[in-house]
Formats: sequence, structure tokens, C-alpha cells
Amino acid sequence: MQSKRLGWILLAPTLAILFLFGVVPFFYVVYVSFHSWNPFAVNPEMIFNGADNFRQIVFDQAFLNSVGVTVMFVFFAVVSELILGYFLAQAFMRDFPGKAIFRTIHTLPLIMAPIIVGSVWKLMTTPSIGIIPHYLDEWFGITMNIGTSVPAAFATIVIMDIWHWTPLVTLTLIAALVSLPPDPFEQAQIDGAGKRQIFWHITLPMIAPAVVATVFIRLMDALRTVDEVWMLTGGGPGSATRFVGVHIFKEVFPKTNYGYGSTISVIVLYLTIVTCWLLYVTMLAPRNKRD
Amino acid sequence: MSEPEDTKLVAAQLEDDIPDLPRPKSGFLPIETNWFDRLFISVVIWIALSLFWFRFVEPAGLSIWISNAISAALAFFIIKKG
Repeated sequence: MQSKRLGWILLAPTLAILFLFGVVPFFYVVYVSFHSWNPFAVNPEMIFNGADNFRQIVFDQAFLNSVGVTVMFVFFAVVSELILGYFLAQAFMRDFPGKAIFRTIHTLPLIMAPIIVGSVWKLMTTPSIGIIPHYLDEWFGITMNIGTSVPAAFATIVIMDIWHWTPLVTLTLIAALVSLPPDPFEQAQIDGAGKRQIFWHITLPMIAPAVVATVFIRLMDALRTVDEVWMLTGGGPGSATRFVGVHIFKEVFPKTNYGYGSTISVIVLYLTIVTCWLLYVTMLAPRNKRD
Repeated sequence: MSEPEDTKLVAAQLEDDIPDLPRPKSGFLPIETNWFDRLFISVVIWIALSLFWFRFVEPAGLSIWISNAISAALAFFIIKKG
């Protein structure tokens, strides 16, 4: 009984902070999402409008387009980061000359703030001064302009995200691979299993929890990407890279439409939770049931 | 070789300290769930059905309250039998 009370006392500060800065704002956003509220308009009052914001959102073509673009971005970015991160993690498990320096350089993008990453990539991809359009033109004769070309803008954002976040995936997968016991691999090799069989039947099932955790982190991050995209393309050309985060930003700040912005945020949170839950259920829950 | 007496006592105390967690059960859902999982699934379905209703059914004249009633019945069924 004494240990239970002590446990609650030790947990209390964390729970209080979590409640104040996590739970209360969440319920406040849900509360605002059922209101029409523009604090800088002629009538700054918060007016309850039932589910009208949710009625509006399912017909909002700009929002639906932004969801589509975001899903495409998340798919390409997260899958590429996972594959690339796995190969890099496997590479770092071996010894090669300059490994320590390469690992440090490879981890550097992680310490950069997203807004800096966006600025650097903006400089690198601006047609008149950027190094990437310059060499693409000089070596391959390709004209690259992310201000006018939709595929170029989208691909640049995906590549920028991969460059920024693959080191995180590599680090988590290195941690997972290092913790694997050697016995199953030795037994599989003795039984004559090939590299591919070892990967699919031993490595992947054993690192699955780490992979799922990494995918969760990257998925949640990628779904709320704003600053990098805002710096690089501002959501353009047109609305080609207007991800949901950028859409919420444009709705809340320039338009000061707090009620509708909250509704979009709630729906995005719902989509994020459902996606992560489905991923968890399909990848880990059957495994738990088997255990 | 028998266990030392104090180890048994510690183990017994640890067992007492384990909180009563929701017990997983197997229903018609393809995964093992506790009551909170089933409540979560019900809320997810309720929101999805409401958005679907707003987009495709309500313009035809059917009130959202019908969707809410269906969702409530479904939630009751999932929580009881899921």
C-alpha cells in the first residue's frame, strides 16, 4: 500500500504536466471544433454551430486534396526512409574504414531544425542560384524549377524529408539489430538458410516492434509536416504541395478561422490515430495473439 | 533444492501489487481485445460513419441522428460481443 502511494506521488508531477499540456489542449481543440470562431472578426464571440464544421469539411475540396497529397508524401517518404535506413543500419553493423566519421556526418541532418532544412533546400533548388538545378542542367540537360513544376516540387520535398529523417530510422534500427541474439542466425546458417530466408523469417520478425515504433514516429511526424514545406514551396505550385499541416496553417493564421482550423486538426488527429492503430493491429496484434 | 523463504515473500508481495488490468477476450473481432479496445473501435467507427453520413447520406435527406443511433447500437454490440 505504501509503495503504491509512493508510486503515485512520484508520478504526480509528470501526470499533472501531461494533463495540463496534453489532455486539456486536446479537449479544448475538440470544443473549439464545434464552434464558429474568428477572434479578429467584427464579432469575435465563439458561436456554437453543432457539427456544421464537420459537415463543411467533407465537402471541402481543398482539404480533401491536401489529405490526398499528404498520404502520397507520407507513403513515399516513410517507405523510402525505412528501406534506406535498414540498408544503412546493416552497413553500420560492419566495420569499414572511416565508419565513425561517416556515421557522424550521416547523423548531422537530425540536429538541424526543420525550418533551417527548408531554407537550405530552398537555396539549393532556386533555379538561378541553386546548386541542384545548375548541375542537373549542366550534366543531364534537365531544367528543374520547383516554382512551376509539380513533380519537381513534390519530389524535392520527398527527397528533403528522406535526407532529414533517414538517420533517425538508421539509429533506431541499429539499436534493434545490435540487441538481436546471435543464436537463431547461427542455427539458421547451419540449417542452410539463405540470406533472404534469414531476413524474412528471423531478422524482420525479431525487429518488427522496433520497425513499427519507428514507422509510428515517422508517420506522425510526416503527417504534420509544415515548416520545411512552408519554407521550400509554401504549398505550391498552386496547391500541389499543400499538405494538411500547411492547409491548417493557412486556415488558422492568414484567415484566422480558428473554429474550422480546429475541426481540420481533429480530423487529422483522427486519421493519424486510426492509421497507427491499423498498422499496430496488422503488424503486432496477430503476433501477440499467437504468443 | 527449495526456494529461500524471503524470495517467496517478495514474489507474493509483487503479485499483490499487480493492478487489475482489463482482461483480454476473444469475440467476433479478429484480435484479442479488452473493453477499452472495443470502446476505441466503436468511437473510430462512430466518427467514420458520421463523416460518411455527412458526405453521402445527409444530402439525400436522412438525419445524422439515424447515423448516431446506428453507431450507438453498433458500439453496444461491439463492446458486448466483440
